[in-house]
Amino acid sequence: MSAMRVDAKVVMLGKESVGKTSLVERYVHHRFLVGPYQNTIGAAFVAKTIQMGEKVVTLGIWDTAGSERYEAMSRIYYRGARAAVVCYDLTDSSSFQRARFWVKELQNCEEHCKIYLCGTKSDLIEGDRSLRQIDYHDVQDFAEEIGAQHFETSSKTGNNVDDIFQKVAEDYNSTAFQYMTEETGIDLGQKKDSYFYTCCHNN
Amino acid sequence: MRSVKTTEQSRLSGIMSQRTERRGIHVDQSDLLCKKGCGYYGNAAWQGLCSKCWREEYQRVRQKQIQDDWALAEKLQREEEAAYASSHGAQTQSHAQSTAPHSVHVSLGPFSKFEEKKTNEKTRKVTTVKKFFSPSSRTAPKKETQEGKSSSPSISRHASFDTDQVSKDFVDFLKNLQKPGREIHKQCRAFIVNMSSKKDLSADELSECVQDFYQNMSDRLMGHFKGSSDSVEQVMDQVEKYIMSRLYKSVFCPETSDDENKDLVTQNRIRALHWVTIQMLCVSMDEEIPEVSENVVKAITDIIEMDSKRVPRDKLGCITRCSKHIFSAIRITMNEPASADDFLPALIYIVLKANPPRLQSNIQYITRFCNPSRLMTGEDGYYFTNLCCAAAFIEKLDAQSLNLSPEEFDRYMSGQASPRFNSSEGDWPHAGSAPDVTATNPVLAQLNHNLELLSGLSSKQERLMEAAQSLQADLLSWPESVQREVHGILEKYPLEIQSCTASAIDANNTDNDNLPPPLTPQVFAG
Repeated sequence: MSAMRVDAKVVMLGKESVGKTSLVERYVHHRFLVGPYQNTIGAAFVAKTIQMGEKVVTLGIWDTAGSERYEAMSRIYYRGARAAVVCYDLTDSSSFQRARFWVKELQNCEEHCKIYLCGTKSDLIEGDRSLRQIDYHDVQDFAEEIGAQHFETSSKTGNNVDDIFQKVAEDYNSTAFQYMTEETGIDLGQKKDSYFYTCCHNN
Repeated sequence: MRSVKTTEQSRLSGIMSQRTERRGIHVDQSDLLCKKGCGYYGNAAWQGLCSKCWREEYQRVRQKQIQDDWALAEKLQREEEAAYASSHGAQTQSHAQSTAPHSVHVSLGPFSKFEEKKTNEKTRKVTTVKKFFSPSSRTAPKKETQEGKSSSPSISRHASFDTDQVSKDFVDFLKNLQKPGREIHKQCRAFIVNMSSKKDLSADELSECVQDFYQNMSDRLMGHFKGSSDSVEQVMDQVEKYIMSRLYKSVFCPETSDDENKDLVTQNRIRALHWVTIQMLCVSMDEEIPEVSENVVKAITDIIEMDSKRVPRDKLGCITRCSKHIFSAIRITMNEPASADDFLPALIYIVLKANPPRLQSNIQYITRFCNPSRLMTGEDGYYFTNLCCAAAFIEKLDAQSLNLSPEEFDRYMSGQASPRFNSSEGDWPHAGSAPDVTATNPVLAQLNHNLELLSGLSSKQERLMEAAQSLQADLLSWPESVQREVHGILEKYPLEIQSCTASAIDANNTDNDNLPPPLTPQVFAG
């Protein structure tokens, strides 16, 4: 597993229990967690290979701890990420406030990171419209404002789950050519800034 | 017909000549004997020597060969040294000069085979020690002398053996690549020599040099392998292994950085946080389950082991193994795969429990000198990032991050209170808390049990000592009492020596008065 080469780092951000892990689990293993599963050791890091026409793109999907107590460290996580899937719970307005926080952080610190807003648990809303706390159009406006993609997903039914990662891979593929020549510059630049240094010690 | 005959003849003569040849050998006994003239028979396979003489001869030749090899290696090393010195300037000129006698001395020693082949790094170090002691170099830079002093002979020999092995592996690996392999080797060596002249650079500059080297190397390889990134990665792993195990000493926790201080700060910080419980961190691991605690122990072992590795990639391997054990522990506890929300707190808990040696130095070392492609995206990179988070969290940890009130936090930090007492006893922090403590913590229970055993043992020991002492006293007084008794008896019954009254039955002088009259024969009528 560790020998697997990964093309792009995709980081999952979102408040605790919005369903980041379920989303990844659904996408990678095509299932929704309701009971004990013995065959996966952890769902925190997965490498997923996607066939894009003739090319193969491997996404390394990083799950992150969403608890507020680790908020200060989130910058260490999304450093060098190509895409960030910022999750919020459609039935929990506070989770969207947190999502806004991450979007702001990403805009400040990772300009090359594409942002994907992802509303989760859409199956709950389909069952009961009154549960929806976050308006679709509000998010759409916000997404346009920040230049992000917007999806509403359900890990239970699988609705839109594949689409969001497919989009991530497509976008990576189309921008990869752009970065190809620039890439060395990026990597070295990051070394020079030594984010690790700042994150671990000066905050 | 004639021709047949002639062939027949020639065949015969052939046999004859063979026979005579054979006979010739058989006849001449001296040819059979050992050429050394020791009297035993020789063997053609041993160049006409007997087994004993052959062994001696062979050993001698081999020894000579080895010595020649040493001489050659020495010569090469001196040349390299000289080249290094001339490129380095006049200051190091003395190195090359002092190196020569030193390496001659080395080649005589029994371990010289190992010493010889490997880097000139150590040689240089030894000479700096020499320089330090020689009167002309009192003004040698402080840094250099420190380094010379810090390398104790046993450690450096061990290390040099390791690097030797690494070089050998590297060369073996490159052999498969043929021409480009030689090119890679040349570049790596040149880079290492180049780096050794840059010891005074700051850690970030060193890192930049190494990263530039990785970048250039992988660009070249990319061209060579026509874009097959798997092969490139494979070669890059070997390159990283080779150069980093060579450079490890000079670039791990370099003196130009304050890594060492940070290590100490972190270490003390973790020590001060010994009271943090698994509940405060919201870790979903139940250490009561034997399998879980087994995994926890393995995770702790792995994270501690990280410090002993030299190559960044091996260090990452330790972190990954540690993380996998944590995942197993969580999965066993919760019966479902762990997410990052479970993993990070558990990792923090493991780091707090393990207090890994030189944590900050190791993190910095990996960040600076690991091949970036591995660090940035792959699975190893993920776990490493989590470790960085854990370290950052521990550094900034405060009351809020443990869901405690600031007062509580301060009291725990100052050691005035322990969370276990409070949580189990509430208002009564002391009275009767012992059983609860043992109930909550198996380690404490074990400790108490051991203490009881120990106190039992010590009381037994005391009793034994008392018994022994009374026995000793008894033993001392026994002869006295026996003596006293004997005296008493002697006094009571004083010894009176009387004339000998013993008599023999057949003595003549016995008076027969007491004896009844002798029987006289009587005659009875009838």
